[in-house]
Amino acid sequence: MAELQIRNLHVRTEDREILRGVDLTVRTGELHALLGPNGSGKSTLANTIMGHPSYEVTEGEILLDGQALNELAPHERARLGLFLAFQYPVAVPGVSVANFLRMAINAQRDEPIKVKEFGSQLDHAVRLLDVDRSFTSRHLNDGFSGGEKKRAEILQMAMLKPQIAVLDETDSGLDIDALRTVAEGVAKLHAEQGVGALIITHYQRILDYVKPQFVHILMDGRIVMRGGPELVARLEREGYDPIREEVAANA
Amino acid sequence: MPETTPPAAGSSQGTPGTPAPRKAGTAREATLNFALDGVGAGGVPLAESRALALAAYERLALPAWRRSGFWTTTLEQLDIESLEQLTHAERDADAPAFLGGQDAAGILVQRDSSVAHVQLNGELAQRGVILCSLEEAAQNHPQLFERYYLRRLQIDRHKIEAASAAFWSGGAFLYVPPGLELDDPFQIVYEISRGGTAQYAHTLAIVDRGSSIRLREYGLAGDTEGDTLHAGAFELYLEDAARCRLAQVTDWGGGRVHDVSTSVVEVARDAYCHWLPALLGGALIHHHDEIAVAGQGGDMAFRGLFFAQRDEHLDVFAVDLHETGPSGGDVHWRGAASGESRASFEGLIKINQGAQQSHTYLQFHSMLLSADAELDAIPSVLVGADDVSASHGGTVGELDEDLIFYMQTRGLTRPQAVRVIVEGFFEPLIVQLDDPQLEQLVRDRIGAKLAGAADEIERYALAR
Repeated sequence: MAELQIRNLHVRTEDREILRGVDLTVRTGELHALLGPNGSGKSTLANTIMGHPSYEVTEGEILLDGQALNELAPHERARLGLFLAFQYPVAVPGVSVANFLRMAINAQRDEPIKVKEFGSQLDHAVRLLDVDRSFTSRHLNDGFSGGEKKRAEILQMAMLKPQIAVLDETDSGLDIDALRTVAEGVAKLHAEQGVGALIITHYQRILDYVKPQFVHILMDGRIVMRGGPELVARLEREGYDPIREEVAANA
Repeated sequence: MPETTPPAAGSSQGTPGTPAPRKAGTAREATLNFALDGVGAGGVPLAESRALALAAYERLALPAWRRSGFWTTTLEQLDIESLEQLTHAERDADAPAFLGGQDAAGILVQRDSSVAHVQLNGELAQRGVILCSLEEAAQNHPQLFERYYLRRLQIDRHKIEAASAAFWSGGAFLYVPPGLELDDPFQIVYEISRGGTAQYAHTLAIVDRGSSIRLREYGLAGDTEGDTLHAGAFELYLEDAARCRLAQVTDWGGGRVHDVSTSVVEVARDAYCHWLPALLGGALIHHHDEIAVAGQGGDMAFRGLFFAQRDEHLDVFAVDLHETGPSGGDVHWRGAASGESRASFEGLIKINQGAQQSHTYLQFHSMLLSADAELDAIPSVLVGADDVSASHGGTVGELDEDLIFYMQTRGLTRPQAVRVIVEGFFEPLIVQLDDPQLEQLVRDRIGAKLAGAADEIERYALAR
């Protein structure tokens, strides 16, 4: 059981402050959705949780089970059980999906994983994501379609078995079939491995397949509203504008 | 009417003897043509050819090549007369351990200036395959020797080339008669065991009509002391419909080895060559690697990779020559530079007059791993026919921070991520070696270089 705690997080890039005091707690087994309009700071939060060097934390803390992560390098955060599914996964030329997965798994262990164990885990994961095993001999993300890239992200999540995963707009750029496969993959991983997930989305479509217990709305670098699934339904109906007005009226 | 041009500002007008302004590019073209056209000394007995080469050696000064606007490759400082040609009387009983006991059609090892080991599969010997020192070939197979020796190599473009033709000893000779398809490779190894020496190496290989082989040539040294020279000459003739997969792997270690080598491959009618030099270390490397498609329907894939580190100096001139058409070519090189190394890749496509329906493409990709390293790419195209396609392309790469971050989020450390990027950069070529053991040898050597350069790569990555 792990707990990711974000306390009063302020983050800036070179030119401006993007997050202005975010508080959020995600535990193993919980499904959270973070919704917000473009430019509200969603991707900044995702990247900052993993320690991207371009984002500077000016105030506040990120904790995993009480341990401060602020000074840890990205690979150290990964080894503690955090995972980020990228909005725009980068191509890794010359390295097959399978070889990359093996390297990533071995990076988190003392002893290299046994060939047979790796093989059976990979078989299980490709079935879960409804991809052909030959997919894993292609170079990671190199020439992949949008849907293939997102499947490769969830495939990595399945193999690395994080405690807490952040999914940054995993639903963007997907057709409906790819979206269903990816979302169902996440739901199965949640059921099987009990991963805690922070699902960041702009369109909410992914939430038709993965039902979050907790919903947060991010605007202008702050979480302005929290609730349950009913908040998704309200957004679906009304869009962001009424919420923006309501927040302004209460301020 | 004579061509006139306005006088340039500041020039002394009307001075007698002012040279006529040259068409842009003319000097460049002349330089390239000179690089291709020397005088050969083949078709004659060896003693005669050596005498011609010796005369050229005595006449010529040590070379300097101007490779780009920034720097030159020079051997003017090399005290060539002081270098010893080290000979060994004994032969080795076994093949070198690094070959790993892999099945081979044949193995020939030259240590310093002597052939130290020769073995040839007995069945192949019975079927007419010849593998022996080049000295023995000149004596025992004079007709074959004189038909091919120096057919495409020149002796007088620079002093080192002349020295190689005049002074080589040992050497490797391979002849594969028509109609043999061999899977196991021929392995030819040049080792330098001590610094302060000169190794004049010469490999002559012929694959006769319709035969198909794999050929490997290694140039290896440990960490030697003192200035050392490897002057290599390599010639491979593929007769009609012959096929060869040729790999050349050189790593001269951490000493002061100067490797000035010329390799030529001739591809006859309907023949095919896949050629991959891997240049993995040496204080100063100057390679002229030339593949000539000389017969209709000839085709080739010319791959190459290099990794320059520390203060190494590497200078590759790769030539894709089409003497007749239809013919095909596909040139793809990749190079990385770390430390304070200097590397230059000059790639020339030359399509001769009348070589219609020649189609070729040259690409070069580079990756810079240090702020103090320099890496230049200079592509040139000389075309003398109108129904052809000849083009070039390439990329200049640095370490991609987004890619490093991506891998870090999967648990890889920065050095691990950099290693994956650089290995991935070379991987499309390494897999084309099509031999797991050789592929692993090249990967391991690249991995060792990366491990040695980890600190400077880290500094470079953080400095940007």
